[in-house]
Amino acid sequence: MSNLIKAENLSFTYPAAGERLALPVFENLTLEIAEGSFTAVIGPNGCGKSTLAKHFNAVLLPTGGKVYVAGMDTADEEKLLEIRCQIGMVFQNPDNQIVANVVEEDVAFAPENLGVPSPEIRKRVDDALKTVGMYEYREHAPHLLSGGQKQRIAIAGVLAMQPRCIVLDEPTAMLDPRGREEVISTITRLNREQGITVVLITHHMRETVGADRVIVMHKGGILTDGSPREVFSQVELLRKAGLDVPQTTDLLYSLRGAGWELPLDALTPQECAEAIRDAGSAFLPRGTNTDRPFIPDDAEQRPRQGVPILELKDLTHIYSAGTPFEHTAVSHIDLAFHAGELTGIIGHTGSGKSTLIQHLNGLLKPSSGQVLFQGQDIWKDKQFTHSIRGRVGLVFQYPEYQLFEETCWKDIAFGPKNQGITGDELDARVRRAASFVGISERQLEKSPFDLSGGQKRRVAIAGVIAMEPDVLILDEPTAGLDAAGRDSILENIKAYQQAQNAAVIMVSHSMEEVAELCSRLIVMNKGCVAMDGAPAEVFTHVEELTEMGLSVPQVTSVFARLRAMGLDLPADVYTVRYAVARLQERKEGRPC
Amino acid sequence: MLKDITLGQFFPGKSIVHRLDPRTKLLLLIVYIVALFMAKSWCSYGLVLAFLIAVTCLGRIPFKSMTRGLKPMLVFIIFTAVLNLFYTKTGTLLVDWWIFEIWSDGIITAFFMVMRIMMLVCGTFLLTYTTSPIALTDAMERLMNPLKKLHVPVHELAMMMSIALRFIPTLIEETDKIISAQKARGADFETGSLIRRAKALIPILVPLFVSAFRRADELATAMECRCYHGGEGRTRLKVLHYAFIDLIAFLVGAALLAGVIVLRRFGL
Repeated sequence: MSNLIKAENLSFTYPAAGERLALPVFENLTLEIAEGSFTAVIGPNGCGKSTLAKHFNAVLLPTGGKVYVAGMDTADEEKLLEIRCQIGMVFQNPDNQIVANVVEEDVAFAPENLGVPSPEIRKRVDDALKTVGMYEYREHAPHLLSGGQKQRIAIAGVLAMQPRCIVLDEPTAMLDPRGREEVISTITRLNREQGITVVLITHHMRETVGADRVIVMHKGGILTDGSPREVFSQVELLRKAGLDVPQTTDLLYSLRGAGWELPLDALTPQECAEAIRDAGSAFLPRGTNTDRPFIPDDAEQRPRQGVPILELKDLTHIYSAGTPFEHTAVSHIDLAFHAGELTGIIGHTGSGKSTLIQHLNGLLKPSSGQVLFQGQDIWKDKQFTHSIRGRVGLVFQYPEYQLFEETCWKDIAFGPKNQGITGDELDARVRRAASFVGISERQLEKSPFDLSGGQKRRVAIAGVIAMEPDVLILDEPTAGLDAAGRDSILENIKAYQQAQNAAVIMVSHSMEEVAELCSRLIVMNKGCVAMDGAPAEVFTHVEELTEMGLSVPQVTSVFARLRAMGLDLPADVYTVRYAVARLQERKEGRPC
Repeated sequence: MLKDITLGQFFPGKSIVHRLDPRTKLLLLIVYIVALFMAKSWCSYGLVLAFLIAVTCLGRIPFKSMTRGLKPMLVFIIFTAVLNLFYTKTGTLLVDWWIFEIWSDGIITAFFMVMRIMMLVCGTFLLTYTTSPIALTDAMERLMNPLKKLHVPVHELAMMMSIALRFIPTLIEETDKIISAQKARGADFETGSLIRRAKALIPILVPLFVSAFRRADELATAMECRCYHGGEGRTRLKVLHYAFIDLIAFLVGAALLAGVIVLRRFGL
């Protein structure tokens, strides 16, 4: 296979701007992308992967070295359009790359720019839309589509240029699991069926499994490069760089640490299950396990006593009631939350979870039913409703986009100030909140707009924590963060919950995340509560969850497969730690 | 709450009005407005109104959506009516109470002014209801093409307009989100003095501007990646063609204008 993209001794430095010094992103990077390959690029935030991608189609030009696309030098201005036609780019935010307000007009944008004759544009647009499966939506307005559909439109817009390669810069970071699946299967198909070269930049390790090659970037250099199996076998190296490994690899790695003889390169749950079965054939008991789901005693029972701190009674919310757009978002919901409880809410976009959480602090008024805070209706009078906002803190999705003050201190102080707190108490609150999320004294004096993405998010979360709410609700607090950023925010949340004995409610798309952190899971589907219980209980319903378009943690599906192979193993496995413990018991011959 | 704004809303359809070339519709709107402003009497107003109703029926636009579109204009319409009612002092004096005087001509002028504004607004709605924003900007670009010789950046203006239209719903949604988020932090937008309320807008406006700039930046990169390099040598997916119905539409428009001029001649 010939090389489509070639970077030779590439160096790049962002020019100095204001107080910021010139920052070399990479030096002497050499890299080749083979025509027809599917390459995944992973790396922690700020490692230079997006900057690298922008060099592939001459949006950025190297400050040193050369980049060649199909033999053309990207610095050659005459070849600019030709290069951009060959290498299509899809970005993270689906909204910010759609130009027109009709789907087909947007897809036509690139060929229009290239001066393609109208009948030919028509054909290209129709072909591109059919390829991504969005042909029926050609006359729709893009802002009414789902995130996954918008991203497919963006891919179609690039396909209409008839490129040889598509570079996707975290195309799934803002999507829900269903949207992710749509996008990944679309690009996989493009690569397999049409032979289009794909370069996929991502944070989600699961998405890299289908690639031919994984490049791991770290601090502007290439840490390791090879097939997914080769790369993910290097668990220690990846961990040190602040990266995740797929849960399957993590499981195999942990078992190896416990003395099992296992290969590290089984990536899919099926392969992983087969490897465990083969390695444990001597001692894994056969038969059907009928144990009741194991419920850890520190969860479930303890906090569920006394008056719940928040209670929903027969809650229904109907948007635009009485108009043709009437839409029931949640219906007849009964739920209670207790202090000290850490609850995860899962469900795909449109399942009603966002509507649900906006009722908890009185941002939305129920169409019918009640919301009770410590037994009192939060809508009983205006003052009480307003005071609830301080008692029930709500951190929205991408909270960093709501920062507005000159310094982080002032921004964090906004919430408590609105509660009427002033002087030393205010200062103490701000500092306390900042220390919870790991924002230093020095950073407090800085403008929030000078911080990195992950730090901005911490400041925004601190802004809600500073109100010292009894209930803390977070809507996808880790969306778009890398593994290191995600882990530390989750730790912060846990620390707050324990220090304040607060009830924490976290909405998430990541099953692994809620499985690890929460003691209770609520699954929303079509505006109703579909399941409610300890993770161990919820994750035994593998089939129902899959039917709702939700996935289970990879370890859970590994165990489901092992059980299907006729092994006597429990069904309630949802974390790697627990999985290893159960398998070890079998190995050492102890009953469980 | 902000989602209720209907700005240039387009109702897709297949009626004759929908199928007209957007340039024709745009020119027809201009003719209509000229006719409306030349109308002076019951007869000529009646003629223009008949035209408006006929086009509304042909376009299969429900009258309800027309009147709904007038709602935000209500204050302005009432203001104009009151102003004309009390400031016209000819004809016969009908009411004389305290400082208020109402003259017969005042009632007639107020009525005509209100009719004029409402018909103007409805006419414009008719255009935006039956023409997609993209067709409209396309038509403007084509109609203003001769101005390019005078170095007017016609293509850029049209592009800016269509991008603005594209991002209005996105930014409205974003504003809603920011308002909710600041409310969740205890911000209060509904009480206090005017200055306090104006100050309360800062936590909304700053993030909104920051986000708009970020979006603009990302959009510019995305456009560049899709080979955008100005209007030079651009082709279009949908090329505008005048058809036979456009000719008829022009004739009807000319007849309307001629009718009003003739009526005016005869002092009607």
